Amino acid sequence: MTDLPLLNVTGLFRRRAGRAAVTDVSFSLNRGEVLGLLGVNGAGKSTTLSMLSGALRPESGGITLDGRDFVAHPGIARSLVGWLPEAAPLWPELSVDEHLLAFARLRGSSRWAARRAADAIIGRLQLGDLRRRLAGVLSQGQRQRLGLACALVHEPALVILDEPANALDPVQIGELRKLIRERAASGAAVILSTHVLGEVVAVCDRVAILHEGRLRHDAPLHDEAGGKTLEATFFGIATGAGA
Amino acid sequence: MSLGAVTRLELRRLAVRPLAWAIAALTIAWLAWSFVLGLGQFLGAQVKLAGMADAPGFTDLVAIPLLAELAKLAFLVVPLMTMSLLAGERRTGTLALLASTGLAPWRIVIGKYLAVLLWLALWLLATLAMPLMVGAESTADWGKLAAATLGTALLLATLAAIGVACSAATSFPAISAAMALIVTLVLWTIDRGAQAAGVSGGFLEWLTMATHLQNLLRGLVVSSDLIWFALAIALSLILATRRLGGDRERQ
Repeated sequence: MTDLPLLNVTGLFRRRAGRAAVTDVSFSLNRGEVLGLLGVNGAGKSTTLSMLSGALRPESGGITLDGRDFVAHPGIARSLVGWLPEAAPLWPELSVDEHLLAFARLRGSSRWAARRAADAIIGRLQLGDLRRRLAGVLSQGQRQRLGLACALVHEPALVILDEPANALDPVQIGELRKLIRERAASGAAVILSTHVLGEVVAVCDRVAILHEGRLRHDAPLHDEAGGKTLEATFFGIATGAGA
Repeated sequence: MSLGAVTRLELRRLAVRPLAWAIAALTIAWLAWSFVLGLGQFLGAQVKLAGMADAPGFTDLVAIPLLAELAKLAFLVVPLMTMSLLAGERRTGTLALLASTGLAPWRIVIGKYLAVLLWLALWLLATLAMPLMVGAESTADWGKLAAATLGTALLLATLAAIGVACSAATSFPAISAAMALIVTLVLWTIDRGAQAAGVSGGFLEWLTMATHLQNLLRGLVVSSDLIWFALAIALSLILATRRLGGDRERQ
């Protein structure tokens, strides 16, 4: 393990639909750290995460991942990044098992390694009963778990989760929190985007708040005196009463 | 290899969707019916043909018309097979997910193209099996049949590349199919105006797809025809790759 941050983001800027969606966003993230990304709808969370996943190119600014320029070389996402987008897009005609094998192979695993990785994540996320079921007939919560499994199947160093608790029941949310902490303990950095302040308090080490495309707050969670202060900070920024 | 992973993924998706099976079943049934009719007419004309010097044979009267019939069907079938390759994935958000696996756009384009190409090759083989089985028992002109098969295969590969490029250009599969059909028809008939004006042999004639396919269907393998198909395939795939690469900038 090295002292250099796994992820270093400097001055990210990106327009969407003609308006600035993300402006001058800078932060860094160490291995083993869980960052909670908060913001109201349209704050720029999903755009930021799309850029960090490699699906979207920043118009300006830099992203360094594991010491390498990620903007110039998005191919390094292959083994290093796992992304769960907000709507957990899947191929409805493929089964749970086929999704996981496909993602492991796309990430460069051999046939046998992909089989082992798929079996491991199926066991970890308790998808065993669903493995032959088509994604198109899964419930919203099951789709979300499959999307999460696809993001984690290759054990990435950087895990990006956009609203991962959407449609999960309380038991599954508890499992999700445990899984995030497990990944962090094994050395992965996790970015968790959510609307739910309780999620951040439960699993994150640090919290960043985006508002109108700008990063308005970035501090360790322990700096706050519990969830109530985080709530006050968040509402202060979201309503324009403070930063 | 990630290119192979994209191809396998696309083949799996083709195999489990009803569209590919329905198209294959309906078109092969139609082609089989055309083959039986053509064969019946050929057998019925045996006495007349026996009296002719240099009479056309089984290859000219049955096998090549069957491949020409497949080529006609391909104008509609290939856009239907390619319309969802990229447009559908862009619409459902899975294309961004594929891009986030670090795959270069060209790998995604070529991987998907190869999958459709494999399906089209099986379609061509299933059609070709009909004249091959009868031809093995008769006096088929194998050289001419090989040239015609090469021409049909190149036509399918070109239409697939055009379909992939059109699918890369939009988020709507139906628009992609319509675009591919129109582009194909334009390429097929682009010299019609020049022909009507009595001009022949110019650039427009070279640009026309029909010119190059007809040579091969007549048994003529000319390098300029092969180059035309290679250029059309390469240009279409390059355009698709550039458009896909632009998604990271454009979204």
